[in-house]
Amino acid sequence: MAARQASQAINTQDITDKSRRDLLQLLEAVRGKKNLVIERSLASIIGLFVKFSTLQEYGVDKLFFLENHNVDSSQRNIVFLVQGENAKIVRTVAEQIRLVRSESKIDHDFTVIWVPRRTLVSNLILEEHGVLGEANIAELALQFVPLEPDVLSLELEDCFSDLILRKDPTPIFASARALMLLQKQYGLFPRILGKGDNAKKLADLLQRMRNEEDVNASSDPTNTYLTSFGLTPSATIENLIIIDREVDFPTVLATQLTYEGLLDEVFGVSHNQTEVDSSILGGAPAPQPQPQSGSSPAPTTATKRKVQLDSSDKLYPEIRDANFATIGPLLNRTAKRLQSDQQNIHKTDQSLSDLKSFVSKLPSHQAEQASLKTHTSLAEEITKFTKSDPFRRTLEIEQTLLLGSDGSTTHESLDELLARATPLPTVLRLLCLESCLGNGLRAREWEHFKRVLLQAYGYQHLTTLANLEKMGLFVPREANRGYLNPIAGSAGQTATEWTSVRARLQLWVEEVEEADPKDVAYVFSGYAPLSVRLVQAVLQKGYLQNLVNPPRAGAAAAAPAANGNGSGWKGFEDVLARIKGATVDVVQKGNDADASQARKTLRGNKEGPKMSLVFFLGGVTFAEIAALRFVGKQLEVADGGGRKLVIATTGVISGGRAVGVAIEKEEFGS
Amino acid sequence: MSKPTADWERVGDRFYRKTQLYTSVFDPELELENYVVTGAPYSGAVALYRDEGKIYAYRGSQAAKPTIDIHSCAGKLIRQISWDNGRIKALGWSDDERLLVVTDDGTVRSYADLQSDFTPFNLGHGAEEHGVQACKFWSTGFVALLGNNSIVAVTRYDEPRPQILASAPGGEVMSWTVIPPEHTSSRSVEVLLAIAKTVYVVDAAECEDRGLEAGPFRHISVSPNGKFIALYTEDSKVWVITSDFQDRLSEYESKVKTPPKDLQWCGNNAVVLAWEDELHLIGPNGAASKFYYDSFMHLLPDVDGIRVLTGDVCDFLQKVPDPTEEVFRLGSTSPASVLLDALQQLEKKSPKADDDIQLIKANLDEAVDVCVRAAGQEYSIHWQKQLLKAASFGKSVLDLYNSDDFVDMTEALRVLNAVRFYQIGLPLSYDQYIRLTPERLMQRLINRQEYLLALKVSEYLHLPVDRIYVHWARQKVRSSSTDEDSICQEIVRKLDGKRGISFEEIARAAFDEGRGTLATELLEHEPRAGKQVPLLLSVGEESIALDKAIESGDTDLVFYVLLHLKKKIPLSSFFRTINSRPVATAIVESSAIDQDRELLKDLYYQDDRRVDGSNLLLSEALSAPDITAATDKLKMAAKLLRDSKEFAPQVAALEDAQRLLRFQEAFERDLTERFVGLSVNETMSKSIKMGNMKRAQKVQTEFKVPDKTYWWVRLRALVSRRDWRELEEMSKGRKSPIGWEPFFNEILGAGNTKIASLYIPKCTTLTVGERIEMSLKCGMVAKAGEEALKAKDRGALEELRKQASGNAQLDIDRMIAQLQKGR
Repeated sequence: MAARQASQAINTQDITDKSRRDLLQLLEAVRGKKNLVIERSLASIIGLFVKFSTLQEYGVDKLFFLENHNVDSSQRNIVFLVQGENAKIVRTVAEQIRLVRSESKIDHDFTVIWVPRRTLVSNLILEEHGVLGEANIAELALQFVPLEPDVLSLELEDCFSDLILRKDPTPIFASARALMLLQKQYGLFPRILGKGDNAKKLADLLQRMRNEEDVNASSDPTNTYLTSFGLTPSATIENLIIIDREVDFPTVLATQLTYEGLLDEVFGVSHNQTEVDSSILGGAPAPQPQPQSGSSPAPTTATKRKVQLDSSDKLYPEIRDANFATIGPLLNRTAKRLQSDQQNIHKTDQSLSDLKSFVSKLPSHQAEQASLKTHTSLAEEITKFTKSDPFRRTLEIEQTLLLGSDGSTTHESLDELLARATPLPTVLRLLCLESCLGNGLRAREWEHFKRVLLQAYGYQHLTTLANLEKMGLFVPREANRGYLNPIAGSAGQTATEWTSVRARLQLWVEEVEEADPKDVAYVFSGYAPLSVRLVQAVLQKGYLQNLVNPPRAGAAAAAPAANGNGSGWKGFEDVLARIKGATVDVVQKGNDADASQARKTLRGNKEGPKMSLVFFLGGVTFAEIAALRFVGKQLEVADGGGRKLVIATTGVISGGRAVGVAIEKEEFGS
Repeated sequence: MSKPTADWERVGDRFYRKTQLYTSVFDPELELENYVVTGAPYSGAVALYRDEGKIYAYRGSQAAKPTIDIHSCAGKLIRQISWDNGRIKALGWSDDERLLVVTDDGTVRSYADLQSDFTPFNLGHGAEEHGVQACKFWSTGFVALLGNNSIVAVTRYDEPRPQILASAPGGEVMSWTVIPPEHTSSRSVEVLLAIAKTVYVVDAAECEDRGLEAGPFRHISVSPNGKFIALYTEDSKVWVITSDFQDRLSEYESKVKTPPKDLQWCGNNAVVLAWEDELHLIGPNGAASKFYYDSFMHLLPDVDGIRVLTGDVCDFLQKVPDPTEEVFRLGSTSPASVLLDALQQLEKKSPKADDDIQLIKANLDEAVDVCVRAAGQEYSIHWQKQLLKAASFGKSVLDLYNSDDFVDMTEALRVLNAVRFYQIGLPLSYDQYIRLTPERLMQRLINRQEYLLALKVSEYLHLPVDRIYVHWARQKVRSSSTDEDSICQEIVRKLDGKRGISFEEIARAAFDEGRGTLATELLEHEPRAGKQVPLLLSVGEESIALDKAIESGDTDLVFYVLLHLKKKIPLSSFFRTINSRPVATAIVESSAIDQDRELLKDLYYQDDRRVDGSNLLLSEALSAPDITAATDKLKMAAKLLRDSKEFAPQVAALEDAQRLLRFQEAFERDLTERFVGLSVNETMSKSIKMGNMKRAQKVQTEFKVPDKTYWWVRLRALVSRRDWRELEEMSKGRKSPIGWEPFFNEILGAGNTKIASLYIPKCTTLTVGERIEMSLKCGMVAKAGEEALKAKDRGALEELRKQASGNAQLDIDRMIAQLQKGR
């Protein structure tokens, strides 16, 4: 599997192990039994690498969620595990410490573990509340969390709203720190490529941090001297490709059509888990113990059940990235195979050794059966959704827009969806999609939809609309933007010329064989995500150029060789200039030529598998992950075991969550 | 050259050696017996202060001034701290040569790196009231025993947090000690208290009686590796037990009437019992050996041995290291010993050298290794050389040998010999050097301001040199009396082009000296923007600090500066400052949104961001307690925007919102149902569902809801109300703005096929095939047939016939016949 092999270059298991070790060490440092107060969002992240039972072994008695304000004084030791970057959270911690201290009769020992680092502001706030001296302070440098062996995530929940809505660069800094850590471990990324203004900021920050690293390393007394010799280019990582989410909103807004994507669209997936009504799963046995809800004071409601979605499941990795249209046959095939296995046992003429080998396979067989049952139920539920009339309408509008047709042809359908009280996020996604692809709506239409939307969903959504406008998702078309004014300069390009980009990067593929896909476009049944095309522009130049300009039959042989050359953005500079945002292309060389040489020699001359890291600043969708895995597989086959692909991101996003950050949650009289 | 075994002493089956490190250590006038002496770990500095409990001869006013003197092991005075800050109760060192002075009121002063000023902190927990009795130190912390037998522990010095341990029973503490956290199973410090006849073990959580009977114990001491405990019993015996109090390993009776002054460990396998000028070295199994000194002595235990300090000499007592014993022990026939002999023969040009080599040929590599290691353990340069030469000779005979260890050892020895030199006075053993690490050795050299040596050693060992330069520069800033410009120039010139120099540290030193301008000047050379920020704030350069914080990309820093700024300057100028910096504005906005809405309002007003301001009021309207309050807020929101024409639609929407609220209020009054919170469409829908068509229509006209929307709302509301009568009525209507298909679909979706079918003929825009499909969905095959018949579609009829059954089949047959006839 692609995922397994890529993991050799960046060992994601190491990251998991280290996080677990660090956390347990911090817990161990607090002597005796302790109550753990944890931020809800952090709890499920922690759940990715450590089980609740392990925490119990390390003296954790009870688990509280910070948000619930229900910390009791049953233990002398109270440990807070919270994010230090968020002032609001810090304040809550300070208040709770004060509260417990004033209400409880015993003398408590407080420990605060800041994730991922202790901040100056947290010190300030604790000091203001007069509790700084009361608490032991520690840090847990939790940065990248591996969701899968080939997917690293910072799991920053508010990243999208911070970056796009509030223009708060905190996630950029967090990303830079995390990437810096990777560089320290694996060497400098020899080349940093990227697209988008935030990508530029991130690349600049990486450069700056690299310069500062020299000084930091030497002034840190705990540092051993080897690391302070400056970084040298990595021998395993070939390049870093930063995709700024702002460059490619349409991919987020479009409905994902892979199985995993649809699971996210319908049920929502977070931290590799989804929650569904247990009635949907029917009598399927619980496939996973639930580590968190064990003794947590806020157990999940009885009717909801958590389903673990990761590669620990035997079946899931095979089907997660497939187009949903092919899920039926895939599940069917598995069912048949399991059945034939089952029948084997019933044969009478079995030797003992056959029996033995079968029995040894029995547990995995049963697990697979359970998983088959779960996924069949889930797929059935999704089918109900995809068969519904609004869904078909939505998809129709979406595909029309993505194909490049003028948005106004879809307006009637949109009006109807609005009148039919379709869920607000669905409508907003379509409107935003049209706005993004057309660089805004015509002013009259824009005002029309705003009015209709407010009438349909309530006037509180004035703020929703204002937010979307701020995010650049739903805007009126301006005369001086985009292709209407071709003189608008290339460096400061503020809008993407979709028509030409669509043609030059072949963003629409007419014939997609979902069952045996030839191109990444299968994930949206026709639309090839711009973000993935950008990655391909770096890694699969020949393929992409052939796709855009199919070589004539005779010249076919010569073309790929000629086109496949060059590195960086070479060959696609023209298209990049037509996409909004800055273009990044930085070559990083070591400070010390000798050291780089030495490192190269040490690593051996054999050209090991090279790896590319794709970083999504602002979130990645499951559909894109699927598409990139598809690219990764092709890369592995190409050029004799060529390259690997690892995806890193600030978090996983979907269209619903993207527009969700804009939506006003309150209503009148609530 | 004296034999290396000359100062060996046999204790039981092992050898111990006493190496004389330095002579004429202290001024002969100094009466060491009147001083408390304590030494830093790893042969570090030694601190002396006059024991106030002892009487001493009056020597005039000069000597009367109390001081703490810090000397090197060779007696060189490094620093003198004059003391008039109360009674010193304890003096101790940490691993990184930080001196800690604890006074009886619980004040702790911590003097870092032998040079800088102290940082104080207080023990608290009643220390002031009960007084500090004594303290025990370990490498990174210490424990203080208070007058009421409560125990306070400090486990780190960078952020000291005195922590009270479990309470111990009362009674006089005869002796006590600590097991450092790194050696306990709980990973937190444990304190051993000898009270009455037994020993209590106290940690953060509990106090446990170990139930010994042989007390009271006059002395108690824990071995450097934390595994063993030595006790001095009431009946003058020394016991060595394991630290879990399970096994007694050995016992020794000193047969001396006077109780000993001190009991310490020498490495991990011998205990030293000391009187004023006599010491007993007790090895395993109670074997012992005695040493006598001419004058009063102090014991300075270290990880691998013990230093004995008298006014005249500084000795190091340790177990003879294994390789050394292997090479030098009398009568040793080990390969290493033979190899050394071979070298001596070689030097005599005797052919016996070759015989020796042949003899040990099989074990030659091992012999070389042992010689190399033994060389590391030697203090005498002569023997170091001899051993290394022997190793080198052996190496030359071997075909394959990895010389890394040899090279490393020669390097280490060069460094060790340099720092052991009496003017430096760091008599590190090889083991201590390895444990201390070369980096920390550099720090110690820097602490002693031995910059040149530090530089040379760093270059020799390829260590970074930036810290040396920075320390030098800080010292320069503190002590130089020349004008600021030339200091800055000199520093910059000297440090120019050196990698990894932290100017921030130098600037901070300047700032602490009160040289603000120099600090700012130096700060400009700091490459890390973020590091400049705190100091810039201290010198009052807030806006530069803000710029630097933004430059660093660290939003935490930006936020930090902003919080400072907000406190310090008036709001209007605060806004002016952030106005031109979008990142700062974004951070203020996103933090204020859930903390300080008033600030946000002011900000929007100041920046003339009306839409944002109006939206803020809108969200306040949403959380308003009642409709009047909400309407007022909405009015204010609209007012903000009214002046400008470009916001007209926004204003209209806000006014609509108010109007809707009024409507809803009226509806609620009349219908006693909740309407507030619903949208326009939902309000219409709800009125229809309640059968109140008129009100719905009124809303439609009032808010100019498009016809299509209205029809959709009505359709869905009626279906959900299952008002089939009304729907049937509607099917008789002539025109629908949304066509009739939606009616069919929605009603079918609600399960009423009969009513749904009424709409099929009205869908005239659809194809026949679609209409047939619709009929079939209603389960009406005959009706589908009629459609097909109307369209004269024979194929479709044939198709239908296959699906039909019973009467319907007959109908279809009839139709087919009709069609044929018609033809």
